[in-house]
Amino acid sequence: MKKKKKKILVVDDEPDNASIFSMGLEDVGFKVDAFTDPLLALSKFKSQYKKYELLILDIKMPDMNGFELFEEIRKIDNKVKACFLTAFGEGYTEEFGRRFPSSINVSFIRKPIRIDDLVKKVNELVIT
Amino acid sequence: MIHSTSQPPTSAVREKTEILYGTENVLGSLLDFLSKAKRIDSCGDSKSPSLAFEVDIYRKLLADIKNKGIRVRQVTGITKENIRYCKELLKFGYEIRHLDDIKANFSVSETEYLATAAALRESQPIPQIIYSNVKDIVKQQRYVFESFWNKAIPAEIRINEIEKGIELENTHVIQDPQTIQKSFVDMVKSAQHEVLLILPTINAFLREHRIGIIQLLVQAAKERSVNVRILTPTNDVIDDLLKNMEVLPYQEGERTKDFDLDLRSINMSSEETAVSTVTIVVVDKKESLVFEKTDDTKENFIEAVGSATYSNSKPTVMSYVSIFKNLWKQVDLYEQLKTHDKMQKEFINIASHEMKTPTQAIVGYADLMKKHPEKRDDMMQAISRNAVRLQRLTNDILDVTRIDSNTLNLHKELFNLDDVIANVIQDHLGYIEKENLNVKLLYNFKRDINEPISVDADRDRIAQVISNLLSNAIRFTSKIMDGVIFVSAERKKDSNQKEIIVSIKDTGEGINPEIQPRLFTKFATRSFSGTGLGLYISKSIVEAHGGKMLAENNPDGNGATFTFTLPLSKSSAMKRMNR
Repeated sequence: MKKKKKKILVVDDEPDNASIFSMGLEDVGFKVDAFTDPLLALSKFKSQYKKYELLILDIKMPDMNGFELFEEIRKIDNKVKACFLTAFGEGYTEEFGRRFPSSINVSFIRKPIRIDDLVKKVNELVIT
Repeated sequence: MIHSTSQPPTSAVREKTEILYGTENVLGSLLDFLSKAKRIDSCGDSKSPSLAFEVDIYRKLLADIKNKGIRVRQVTGITKENIRYCKELLKFGYEIRHLDDIKANFSVSETEYLATAAALRESQPIPQIIYSNVKDIVKQQRYVFESFWNKAIPAEIRINEIEKGIELENTHVIQDPQTIQKSFVDMVKSAQHEVLLILPTINAFLREHRIGIIQLLVQAAKERSVNVRILTPTNDVIDDLLKNMEVLPYQEGERTKDFDLDLRSINMSSEETAVSTVTIVVVDKKESLVFEKTDDTKENFIEAVGSATYSNSKPTVMSYVSIFKNLWKQVDLYEQLKTHDKMQKEFINIASHEMKTPTQAIVGYADLMKKHPEKRDDMMQAISRNAVRLQRLTNDILDVTRIDSNTLNLHKELFNLDDVIANVIQDHLGYIEKENLNVKLLYNFKRDINEPISVDADRDRIAQVISNLLSNAIRFTSKIMDGVIFVSAERKKDSNQKEIIVSIKDTGEGINPEIQPRLFTKFATRSFSGTGLGLYISKSIVEAHGGKMLAENNPDGNGATFTFTLPLSKSSAMKRMNR
């Protein structure tokens, strides 16, 4: 019996990054939906709801940042796990604490990350 | 009368002390006193200097003193009223010193003592006098004189003060809270030019607002054009009060007030300001009032205030002025430092983000290439694209660092600007062709061959600027049908033609109004191929050459024009003038 693939949503406004992350994760058996436009990702999520195991969201994006996107998605699926991609040195912890007082189901990935490390991290997050 | 002027002094003079009555007897006694004295030490109240001039019978005494060469030292209270007499006495060779409020009237010579036995009256002869030649009394009075003399200040200093209109300098402690409040209010009301005020706490501000001080300050600024400067901690409550008094605008950018009241917020810790407990007010650089707060929790001024020190002594007041100025400057510097620090952190954050993004692509594709040999070519291209982006970014960040630390060194040389422009255009034509872009690049070369535009500038840097402007123009024009970019360089037609204007005009998308206000700031872009640093760097390079850079959308609504100026090299300008 073929096991059903686990779904992951990747949103990063850099097309190269969105494509690298989805390729890397698809190679190890995940089903990935990747977007470079957070607003488009949100409207797709609203119109064709899917149960994602994990959201991988870039923080700094035009129109809507990763935190805002996560807040919107949580309104529909409040149990979903998220992993934020950050290329910043410091400075997001404060905003994060303010937005998400009970930091459940959330973690961070610092860019740049090797594909093997990404896969390892994602596997940990999806299993726990 | 026992003594007479003719009687020679003997060693066996009988010691006595007596009172002499009547102006005649008094005068005789004075003459007698002078006849035996070689030096006289005299103490007199502020009326005493007038007697020698205003009482006819005493005038002779002055002449006597001068003729006989008697050395006179006198301590008196020099006032506006008696200053002219004191100056006359100085001319007669008196040594005079000033002591405030001196009441004693006596003279003592080597052997004799004279003192008035009744208060002196202006221009009136002395009615009675005490005389003594008792050694112990003379000795004692000499000692009294010496102590006054040593406490007194030289007449010249005092006379100078009075003539310059200096008020009596005074520093004193006020214990009574009511008096402190009244002094504070009176001082602010009397201000003619300037009020400096340092408040230690939020509550101190609110208390002073309650007794009307803040309102009086606004009034002074509005109605008497007094410069008011306040250093105070602030919060929302205070901001609201200030808005109500039109000291602060209701909204940012709203009309500025037309009176001179400036307020700086000292919201740093008390250790940093060193002013944590006292209120300091200085009016017109002439008076200062400094008071402690004993209980900052009290709402009432009277209950909260401790003792105060009032001063109109110049050194004291000026010290407070200097403390105020230093603190004012410190607040300025502190704000600048905070802004600078914030900008630097922001720059590091954005630069780090910008560098990590292409790095992620390079690292990612390199990892994926092993598993996807069929996509090898595409991935190689992506790696190369991102590597170029990283390289460009690194160069730009280095340039920005040089600019921001003022270490952008220009290697100036004399060159023909047309040559540089032609080279840059050639490079970009190659790019347009390679990318198959639908853009026309035009340049006006119709120039008199004998009249080249020569500039004294850094050739590579100027090429960098033109290349940056041209790349931007191509990027924002290539998506438009039949886009045209027109480059020109010409001498400015007015102002004696000392400048060259280079302009790059395109028919592209134009400048986004949202980005326009921060067009020349760092990281003002969202485009992939741009670093957002190009225009900042270009403008800085142009400015380092003494030129200006401007950008505006074209009046016809199509595209934008970027222009920059460069000073024409002197030799080039000379050449024109010689024609």
